[in-house]
Amino acid sequence: MNSLTRRSLLAAVVAMPLATVGAAAQDVELTYAGSGGGLAQVMDMLFDKPFAEATGIRIKALATTDRVSAMRAMMQAGNPIWDVAELTPIDYATASLEGWLEPIDWSVADPGNLLPDDAKLADAGIAATYSTVIAQRTDKLPEGKQMTSWADFWDVGTFPGPRALQDSVMENLEFALLAEGVDAKEVYSILATEEGVDRAFAKLDEIKPHVVAWWTAGAQPVQMLADGEVAFTTAWNGRITQLKQEGVPVETVWNGGALKPSYVGILKGTKHKKESEQYISFMIGDPQRSAEFAKMVAYPGMVKGLYDHIDPAVGRELPTHPDNIGGQFVVDAVFWAKNLDALQERWQEWLLD
Amino acid sequence: MRFSRRFPLVPALVLVLAMFAVPVAFVFVEAAFAPEFSLAHFERFFTRSVYLTVYWNTLFVSATVASICLLIGYPMALFIVSQPVRRRPLLLFLVLVPLWMSILVRTYAWMVVLGREGIVNSALQWTGIIDQPLTLMFTTGSVYVAMVQILLPIMVVTCYSAMTEIDPGLVRAARVCGASPFAAFRRVFLPLSLEGALTGWSVIFILSMGFFIVPALVGGRRDVLLGNMIVNQIAQANWGFAAAMAIVLLVSTVVLLAFVRLVAARFLYSPREA
Amino acid sequence: MKNRLLPTVLFALGVLFLFFPILIVAPMSFSGDRFLGFPPKSWGLIWYEAYFSDPVWLAATWRSLRVAAVSALIATLAGTAAVVGLSRFSSRWRAGFTGLMLAPAIVPNVIIALGIFMLALRFGSTDSEVTLIFAHAAVGLPFVVMIVGAAYRQTDPTLEKAARVFGAGPLRAFWTATVPPLVPAIAAAFIFAFFVSFDELVIALFLMGGSETLPVRIWNDLRFEINPTIAAISTFFVIVTALAMGLAEFLRARATRRQGNN
Repeated sequence: MNSLTRRSLLAAVVAMPLATVGAAAQDVELTYAGSGGGLAQVMDMLFDKPFAEATGIRIKALATTDRVSAMRAMMQAGNPIWDVAELTPIDYATASLEGWLEPIDWSVADPGNLLPDDAKLADAGIAATYSTVIAQRTDKLPEGKQMTSWADFWDVGTFPGPRALQDSVMENLEFALLAEGVDAKEVYSILATEEGVDRAFAKLDEIKPHVVAWWTAGAQPVQMLADGEVAFTTAWNGRITQLKQEGVPVETVWNGGALKPSYVGILKGTKHKKESEQYISFMIGDPQRSAEFAKMVAYPGMVKGLYDHIDPAVGRELPTHPDNIGGQFVVDAVFWAKNLDALQERWQEWLLD
Repeated sequence: MRFSRRFPLVPALVLVLAMFAVPVAFVFVEAAFAPEFSLAHFERFFTRSVYLTVYWNTLFVSATVASICLLIGYPMALFIVSQPVRRRPLLLFLVLVPLWMSILVRTYAWMVVLGREGIVNSALQWTGIIDQPLTLMFTTGSVYVAMVQILLPIMVVTCYSAMTEIDPGLVRAARVCGASPFAAFRRVFLPLSLEGALTGWSVIFILSMGFFIVPALVGGRRDVLLGNMIVNQIAQANWGFAAAMAIVLLVSTVVLLAFVRLVAARFLYSPREA
Repeated sequence: MKNRLLPTVLFALGVLFLFFPILIVAPMSFSGDRFLGFPPKSWGLIWYEAYFSDPVWLAATWRSLRVAAVSALIATLAGTAAVVGLSRFSSRWRAGFTGLMLAPAIVPNVIIALGIFMLALRFGSTDSEVTLIFAHAAVGLPFVVMIVGAAYRQTDPTLEKAARVFGAGPLRAFWTATVPPLVPAIAAAFIFAFFVSFDELVIALFLMGGSETLPVRIWNDLRFEINPTIAAISTFFVIVTALAMGLAEFLRARATRRQGNN
């Protein structure tokens, strides 16, 4: 503590003359609405500090939640206190449909054209990708068998053992249809109809008695696997790898995984649009930096050449690795932004039943 | 009556108005009048079975948790009051120290205890009482255990602080007049301590009504409380429906507590109102 | 002897129940593993090291302690005064005001958080520790009003009247006659207001994104993993308060022994 104060004091003294000189030229601070916690510390190290050094633009990272509510409040008050926000698929779809995001000038944000077109939307960029996958305890599998699909997850005869699913209507309806053998490409066209939703819930009825826990926080499935509370569960891909390194016999099933982008967008009305675009460019448009980030949190971005900078052994554990990406489907954010309220109600009713 | 006599109320009133009443009115107005005045959100709440089920569940769980806390906490407070004054701080300390445990950590501890491969199941299997692990975690039972563990200290201390106000001379007087210890307790001490017990019950009932993290982390699929629903609606920015549910929660809690107090008033003795 | 034993056993069982999570969590905090597990596979102090060497965790801890202490103080002072003030209103007004003061405990925090956030956006006071302190004070106030109120209704008003009769001013009568018997209740109320704030997550999430409090930090990490750091923090607080309590007991015992010798 002592040395720390001394060090920061020293830094303040050294920085002071510089700060006063630089103030007139570029004294910009961007507010980034992120997730906080350990993730924010990684981002601070890989993105925020080097960005400030390179450009003089400081990043103030906020730990935020309920971003849709917060953004709505800001837009009503006419006071967007965030410049750049990290957005889940639903956050992004809602914000985009409501017109809360600035269009991004990709000639500024991706001058070298290193990002694929899929990652460059009119009003957001894809910063990272993560996947909800099946994680299995290999020591609880029947002799010589491996789960490879949603049909297997539903097959309680061949794969007996307690299961867990996320308490979320999103993705579980998709998983149920995949378990029925529906082609991934047709999932959302089926869910768009009443019969399709009925069909998914009917399939979920089959697995319901075998699901002992409905998790609500990302850390829960990891912990339940480690404790032997469940043998099979859905989980976010990132931590399963770490669990394996810890010696817990777990394996990820990439086939049928629900791939979701994490978006970054610029809030409408920001005074620092240009600087925000620079920051986004710095964060998601550099293969080497993105590779460092992916190594640390296992949620890779989409920049081209990312895997050139990653050890193949590490790369194979990432959702966008060529070996893994084929069997996954991309969650349709717009479908969910439009239908979440009604389907969530039905899901709640179904759970209580 | 002069204003100065009523002045002590002012700071609290300002605090509640500034940090509660005005901000919440903001949300409520938003809910009822955006885009125009409508009771559609209330209609949705009272016509869909899912919300009514959760609503009753919330009332039932809160009342049960408060009652369990009362049954365990009142005797514990009684024990502390029965001890010499110099020993009481230590006993209160024992009750209060668990408050330092983050609620999120505690919910995890219950998984270690109640899980399939947890302590209880391992012990029962080792002694041969059961062959297959019992399902103890992610049940309504585990929600009760976790909530009571979190809220019990409040009951003990609330009961205790009210019990210390009781003049021990009164109980002694009853004994001198020939009452048995039990009669002295029942006729003198119990009615006097009821105020604290009722307050403890009310505090815990109120707190339980707003719980959402604990049931979400340790409960099963049916253990949803209104708090979870409200949080979900805010996450989707459905302020109107969230506010409608909050109003239902507020009104029913106030009505219920007023009713409980009215019923209990027949058994309460208060020197200030006598 | 018989009717002494039963209450003691009941009390001990109650305390055991309250301590159960501590008995589980404390050993896990001395784990050398990366994940929480019971019993730990290896032992070590790495999670205490991780905690004490991380300025972000430490800052969050101090912030939480500071916010909790100040907001509890505000809530206790305002709430205790309010209890006295309320007793001077007619019963109808009293019921109305009491209802208003209790409401912050009943309305879910997420609604309060959103409302304050909406207002703060207009006043430019988002991401402010002061806003959070007053918000927590408002949420802690109901508990003070209830706990102190319950004790106040039990106290004898004749004492205060007697003091007035013997010439004490209203303030003096209040301090010397009314407050002393309320001290246990006021202390209890302060403790609960403190922990209401110390454990509060939702309002802090809305208002304090830039500088996390302890629950916010724990919650943000919970999205990905539960690591033994949080076990170490909880255990650390338990140990520190236990040591403080032990010291106080020791000093008290020595003081009484000395008094006994004199």
